[in-house]
Amino acid sequence: MSVPRVRVATVAERWERVRVLALAPDAPSQRAAQSLASGRSWLLTGAAEPGALWGQCRGSAATPYRIVVDLAGPAYQCSCPSRKFPCKHALALLLLWADGSVKDDVGDPPDWAASWLAGRAAQVAHGPAREPADPKTAAKRAAQREARVASGLGELDRWLCDQVRQGLAASQQAGYGHWDDIAARMIDAQAPGLAERLRALASVPHSGAGWDGRLLEEYALLRLLAVAYRRRPELPPPLRETVRSRIGFSLRQADVLAGGAQVRDHWQVLGRRDLEQDRIRTRRTWLQGRTTGRPALVLSFAPVGQALDDTLSVGTDAHADLVFYPAAVPLRAIVLTKHDVLDGGPPAGDTIAGLLASFAAALAGDPWLDGWPAVLDVTPARSCVPAVSDAAGHALPLHPGAGDCWPLFAISAGRPVTVAGEWTPRGLWPLTAWDEGGRAVVL
Amino acid sequence: MSTWQDLVTASLIGTERSAVPPVAVPGLPTPADAPADPAAILLDRAALLTVARRGGRLAGHADPLPAAEPDPAAVVSPAAGRRLARMLSGEHPDLLAEWLSATVTHGRRVPAHLLPALLDRARRVSSAGPELRRLAALAGGSRARWLAGLNRDWAFVAAHTRPGDGAWRLGDAGQRRGYLAALRAQDPDAARELIAASWDAAGPERVMFLSVLADRLSPADEPMLEAALGDRAQDVRGWAAYLLASLPRSALGQRMAERALGCMRIERDMRGTRLIAIPPAECDAAMRRDGITPRPGGGRLPLDDRTHLMLEVLARTPLLTWSNEFGRSAEQILAVPSGAWEPVLLAGWSRAAMAQLDQEWMAALINRALADGPPGKLFGAEILRQLVRRVDPALVASETIASRDAGPPPAIHDAITVLRFRYDMLKELDVDHSDG
Repeated sequence: MSVPRVRVATVAERWERVRVLALAPDAPSQRAAQSLASGRSWLLTGAAEPGALWGQCRGSAATPYRIVVDLAGPAYQCSCPSRKFPCKHALALLLLWADGSVKDDVGDPPDWAASWLAGRAAQVAHGPAREPADPKTAAKRAAQREARVASGLGELDRWLCDQVRQGLAASQQAGYGHWDDIAARMIDAQAPGLAERLRALASVPHSGAGWDGRLLEEYALLRLLAVAYRRRPELPPPLRETVRSRIGFSLRQADVLAGGAQVRDHWQVLGRRDLEQDRIRTRRTWLQGRTTGRPALVLSFAPVGQALDDTLSVGTDAHADLVFYPAAVPLRAIVLTKHDVLDGGPPAGDTIAGLLASFAAALAGDPWLDGWPAVLDVTPARSCVPAVSDAAGHALPLHPGAGDCWPLFAISAGRPVTVAGEWTPRGLWPLTAWDEGGRAVVL
Repeated sequence: MSTWQDLVTASLIGTERSAVPPVAVPGLPTPADAPADPAAILLDRAALLTVARRGGRLAGHADPLPAAEPDPAAVVSPAAGRRLARMLSGEHPDLLAEWLSATVTHGRRVPAHLLPALLDRARRVSSAGPELRRLAALAGGSRARWLAGLNRDWAFVAAHTRPGDGAWRLGDAGQRRGYLAALRAQDPDAARELIAASWDAAGPERVMFLSVLADRLSPADEPMLEAALGDRAQDVRGWAAYLLASLPRSALGQRMAERALGCMRIERDMRGTRLIAIPPAECDAAMRRDGITPRPGGGRLPLDDRTHLMLEVLARTPLLTWSNEFGRSAEQILAVPSGAWEPVLLAGWSRAAMAQLDQEWMAALINRALADGPPGKLFGAEILRQLVRRVDPALVASETIASRDAGPPPAIHDAITVLRFRYDMLKELDVDHSDG
């Protein structure tokens, strides 16, 4: 039988499947896309220079869905009614392409794909307009912002006191609007950090026993932030930076690089946690220096549907220079130069007492700190809640949001394992465990 | 800390109606309450206590779990583990049983972190398809048993790995089947003897007995099956005939071969070589006893009775019959034109090849289907779908699998994808084996 010769991919370097799956908005989308890609719904697929994919896929509607993907970006277009973005069809098309099942010699894209691709090309060519940086206007704008934030925080302080004056009991009946309104005011006051914190509070009254205490904690810490900002001239500069960043003032990367402390080390990539809010995905990657023992947190952001930065992969060591943002407890960092990536091996685990002591010391510098990297040699246990317990018999609960964490139990099988995670006031959020072969498993 | 709870209570009621409790943190001076507003005072005190409580948190205690027994089996390679993870997240889920079965055969086990997802998947399959549960329990090893002790959802693991006599003597239908299937996997002869000893007393369970025999079927099972052809229950007779037809050297196979040889011959004339098919005239009592139904059931293709008989006979005929009779290989026989009979012959041979697990025929049939282009006319898409899931993928023309030209039509695309996936999957597990 005659078979066409294997063609080498010419469109763009094919992606790994994991890279495609990382674009999915949630786990069900990943599953749906994988079964769609292994199924028989595709009527047509094609690829062309430079980095365009298209396909037609039978769905539940009478007419097949039309999907176009621009790999630069990436950007997607699909005629299906799904509100997920990217939808399973776009993901499945990317999976097919990643597996080498999309031909790149089928000719030009069909008209419906070509017109969208042309529109994309035009958009990219023009790009978003950049504002000219005039130092005078910039200074004026900065002063305006400080004034807005100050008045916004005054308003927040009054709102917080009102809540406590009238009693928190009423919060259980309040809808999301109760917190969304005050959050919107903080957006107007250019304090987005506060807005985010406030919006997150709407779920606290329904978070089970102890909700009242948790709400009071958050209100108290918010007022502490308002007071700290009001009295910022009295604060030491690093603490002032901590207060400003928690309110939502962001430093330009260039300024951080120019002024921040630079630390070279073999940074162990301990674990990462992806969060999503307001169609923005945030990846928190926790690092720890092998030599310095310093913890570091690298944040990366992407709109939903775009890939998050994947260059720090869990379980490896990055030999790199990190620059830390100025803060009372410098944690957030930027990777300045990455010299090398090495196969890490498990990090040295701490005891629970050691973790609690280091967190207490960090809190003394930054009272708002609610996440701290933990590397522990522990055995998972289940008393009334899932927990981890160390050789000294000390135990900490797992974070209720982390679920049953069965994979962690399976890896341990009742024996001690090295676990990396994020320690929070509500419990340990396990992120990575090292299995018997010393390999990092993302939990 | 009662002071904290006092603060919470006051904040719930509100400072309009409640006093603000005083707060003291050991080692800290009492804060000077600068603000005049009681609400602000409460919040400031709460902030102090919040941070003090977070920083001063003490570890609790948790009772340790008993450790799992050590597992002598080595874990599969990382590549094989990644493939299992892909299947568990929705890719080719129907190949999961094959992955597990190969892992068990090679004496390997599932990577620990994937066990919870695997056990969840096995739990969700209906209890009518217990094979996946059994394989998951076996491939999971001692950790799977340990996990099952922690989560009632996975209780089925115990039934499949450590079935005691109790499961057989006292268990329900599922537990009895589990016991018998495990015994059959370990010691096929012992399972057959147990079935033989229980046969007379068993009523409806005989069908279950036969379905367990399907695993590791051997000529030693033939006498029992031949006897079951005379059973009163039609289901039992059907199963027995089906299993006997999967044993190419069985007496039933020989009877079928005689019938089949009367139905087909090769003719050479000036137009070339052709296969001539003459379907059986009727379904006599002997054919019925061998499991052939006189009329098509509710199949998708409307077949006339004689075509149906042809298909039934072909599907039960040992494939060796044809190579011996025609002196040609499977591939050569498939290349002989047979005119309008072609779809029927291909369907019958496909069913026979799958029942007899004849790799040469399966590979030849698949190559034929892939080379011929648009299926549907000759091959039902369903037959191709089943063939590519049973064939040893290494036997199918390697360029077919390597080819990236897996475009439409969908049935071909699906077949090539499955072949490629299985080829890589079995290679990974095989490499694993030679490592150990």
